Amino acid sequence: MIKITNLEKFYRTEEVETIALNKLSMEVNTGEFVAIMGPSGCGKSTLLNILGMLDDPDNGSYVFNGVEIAHFNERKRADLRKHNIGFVFQSFNLIDELTVFENVELPLIYTGVSSADRVKRVEEVLDKMQIMHRRNHYPQQLSGGQQQRVAIARAVVNKPKLILADEPTGNLDSSNGNDVMELLTDLNEQGTTIIMVTHSEHDARYSHRIIRLLDGQTVMENIMV
Amino acid sequence: MFRNYIKTAFRSLLKNKGFTAINILGLALGLGACLLIVFYVVDELSYDLYNTKSERIYRVNADLKLGENRKDYAVVMPPLAKTLVAEYPYVEDAVRIKNAYTMHVKKGEVNMVENKVAFADPSLFNVFTLPMISGDSKTALAEPNSVVVTESTAKKYFDKTDVVGKMMILNDNQNFKITGVIKDVPKNSHFNVDFFLSMATWGDSRSNAWLRNDYNTYVLLKDVKDAKKLGGSFDALLQKFSGDQMKSEIGMSYADFEKSGSYFRLNLTPLTDIHLKSNRTGELSANGTTQYVYIFSAIAIFILLIACVNFMNLSTARSSNRAREVGVRKVLGSPRKYLIAQFLSESIMITFFATVIALFAAVALLPLFNQLAGKDIAITQATLLWLLPVSALIVLVVGSLAGSYPAFFLSAFQPIDVLKGKLSAGFKGGGLRSFLVVFQFGISVFLIIGTLIINNQLNYIQTTNLGFNRNQVLIIQNAYELNKSTKNFKEELSQLPGVAGVTMTNFLPVSGNRGTSIYFKDATLDQKNSIFPQSWEVDADWIPTLDMKMAAGRNFDKGRLSDSGAVIINEAAAKFLGYKNPLNQTLYKSLGGKTELSNTVKYEVIGVVKDFHFSSLHDKIEPVIIRLGENNGAVSLRVNTANLPALMSQIKTKWTSFSPVQMNFSFMDQDFDASYRSEQRVGTIFIIFTTLAIIIACLGLFGLAAYAAEQRTKEIGIRKVLGADVSAIVAMLSKDFVKLVVISIAVASPLAWYCMHLWLQDFAYRINIQWWVIAAAGLTAILIAVVTVSFQAIKAALANPVNSLKNE
Repeated sequence: MIKITNLEKFYRTEEVETIALNKLSMEVNTGEFVAIMGPSGCGKSTLLNILGMLDDPDNGSYVFNGVEIAHFNERKRADLRKHNIGFVFQSFNLIDELTVFENVELPLIYTGVSSADRVKRVEEVLDKMQIMHRRNHYPQQLSGGQQQRVAIARAVVNKPKLILADEPTGNLDSSNGNDVMELLTDLNEQGTTIIMVTHSEHDARYSHRIIRLLDGQTVMENIMV
Repeated sequence: MFRNYIKTAFRSLLKNKGFTAINILGLALGLGACLLIVFYVVDELSYDLYNTKSERIYRVNADLKLGENRKDYAVVMPPLAKTLVAEYPYVEDAVRIKNAYTMHVKKGEVNMVENKVAFADPSLFNVFTLPMISGDSKTALAEPNSVVVTESTAKKYFDKTDVVGKMMILNDNQNFKITGVIKDVPKNSHFNVDFFLSMATWGDSRSNAWLRNDYNTYVLLKDVKDAKKLGGSFDALLQKFSGDQMKSEIGMSYADFEKSGSYFRLNLTPLTDIHLKSNRTGELSANGTTQYVYIFSAIAIFILLIACVNFMNLSTARSSNRAREVGVRKVLGSPRKYLIAQFLSESIMITFFATVIALFAAVALLPLFNQLAGKDIAITQATLLWLLPVSALIVLVVGSLAGSYPAFFLSAFQPIDVLKGKLSAGFKGGGLRSFLVVFQFGISVFLIIGTLIINNQLNYIQTTNLGFNRNQVLIIQNAYELNKSTKNFKEELSQLPGVAGVTMTNFLPVSGNRGTSIYFKDATLDQKNSIFPQSWEVDADWIPTLDMKMAAGRNFDKGRLSDSGAVIINEAAAKFLGYKNPLNQTLYKSLGGKTELSNTVKYEVIGVVKDFHFSSLHDKIEPVIIRLGENNGAVSLRVNTANLPALMSQIKTKWTSFSPVQMNFSFMDQDFDASYRSEQRVGTIFIIFTTLAIIIACLGLFGLAAYAAEQRTKEIGIRKVLGADVSAIVAMLSKDFVKLVVISIAVASPLAWYCMHLWLQDFAYRINIQWWVIAAAGLTAILIAVVTVSFQAIKAALANPVNSLKNE
């Protein structure tokens, strides 16, 4: 599904050039659950942003579903992104002014799903995440675990092929964190590819494969059994 | 999709109640003030447009130049109107209106004073649109002693409008038959008349005099294009009709007259230009000026700009709080145009609420504003016809304008930057925001300086030495009612204790009679040595009663018979005549007819009175020549008593022993103030709207300061933990704003100085702009800014740092 080759990304300030990704190559197959680990500043988030098409690489190739997209412009990337990728953030990033239902509905609005279909699909996914009873609440009225469920609901409502999760349990206690990991595992078992950045060895154990980064390069890959 | 925008917008507004209130209130305040001024301007621009034929109606004016003397008249010769209709087929009709000033109208046994009386030709109703409720408009003013009254006048005197055929008694003994009732003359008419008397009643109207100007004359053209043709034919017309009279009265032909450098010309003013552009001798009522229309329009635009800037500033300042929402929406696939649409619809929504509030506020405040502006503006169906579409336009234009910057600014955020938190410290990067604050405060400083200078000038007008003492002078305006006994009445008044002086004449330095005459320096009556001054008839008590000062020579002496051939001139006249020593010089006045010595009167200059102001301080003091006479138009008394009411009743008792008519009186200082009322009004309105502008600008600054403090909450917390005290933090937060305000003062002061300098040029007598005015305006602006900002700064500085750090 994803094949990146010799990917490079630099950050420049006036005096210093920092290499965030240093000729990084990796592959992720459809249906995989991959964890990316590494110390702060190793390039995890940069990689995730590029994979999520929020950012573009300076050099190298990024093939998504057989299409080279490294040179895509912002609009093309946005279009590809909204149909194929769901995001889950550490800080949830729910919109405070919208209710649970409306937050989850948002990606469907941007992909032009009809109103009747939207209601059906949002209800379906809220039901699956077991937060149906909270549908009319605002994010601030929910606990952290519940907010992350809403965020996951929002990430999957468009039935994306790929979910990118950036430390999804970072702001949660262990019990809520485990619930979230179970949810992601379920989604993966139903066929969604998942790439997750994490600091937690515990969370990483839910994945099939761990890619360890250091200074913008892959240093090790563990296959989980 | 759209519903989603509205929903988010609405909730976001509700969530930030303080911000929303400042935003909506500031905008509503600005729009409301702007609307009131728009009402004023629209009203000023709508004068005489009620006439359905307005674009074809022109007033004929006369310009006269005699030697070095020039006069512009709004009135022309008595026979001109009928001559124009007879001579030029493209003149459809013409009408004369002659101001009759004050008359007394009997209601029961009481004589009421009426000031809005005029004589008019029967063609009045053909030229002007004055719809008749009852009576025949074609014949109503045909017969002598006919009167057409307005609806409200009919109600005032008869409690009904069906009064055609009834009689009215004017000036106690003249019977007039009511031949028509018209709707009230609209307020936005350049003449304001309640009684139209038939011109046939006025004997002089049949005069064939071509050398004097006393009738306001209007022509109705068949086609607008004919105005040029008519204007071009006046010279030939005057030559044809006034030539003979000129020869016999001045002793020269029309051509020679023009050759000598003098002229006598006619020209046209379009009816709709009269109110704002005409200021001639003999106007039917005081007109407005375009200047104030411009000034007010500028203030309205300024206020609106300030309010819009507020809106933009607050919205962008708040953008960092909205940045995350933008980021999330972008990650979820929202194209930029959707975000722009979202923020625009939010700003249009705010503008909509503000406009609704502004509309209600403006309508509610209209009576108060009318009082202030001396207007009578009403919201009618016609107003709504333009007001509603304009309001809709305001919502769209102001909404998009004010929302455009935040919309484009916010929507351009890169989602990863936002989500990474790069934009959270959004305040310092606001270069445009700083520019807008400078702009706003620049306008405020400009307005403060303007207000101070206008106020100083008005103050100067009121306290300046006018050359006479206007305080404690009572004017009995209708002394002419007593006919020959006015003199006796005057004598009796002078006996009353508490009366320091009495003078009989209606030539007074405040509003009153005016008259001009030609005097010549030598007996050949050469125009090159002529003077065309105000020529007034007064009595020997005039100068002492009005407390005027002599510059040279003496006052008239009742005892000296020879003083009937004496004149006193003012300093301006002495200067104009070029006399080093004016005393004992002689002046000649023609008696008309042949230019011969036997036909002239000789006057000796016995004194020079110090210049006194007798018209607006806009104008230079003109030459005045005063003679002894027995003008009984008015009687003025200098009263000198603590018990004015008692004296008043004594004066009234004296009056009733002479006349059954009601005594009509006023105080000279009040009359003087009345002549500056329009300036006073402008001053008051200016102050009020300036204050509003400053309040709106402060609202914006208040909001910005709040956000700046909020943005820096963490920084403030850290600084406090490290030992900063409250004053240091307040100083830190205020510094940035004060810097901007100082820049705005530097930019706005010279501009304001220059503009106000131009405004003052309009006054012949004016103040110099003092440096402290600029300093005071600057300090006020800084003070206002500091107070506004430090309110927020202190709040932020006093907050417990533990809370702000924990939040992060």
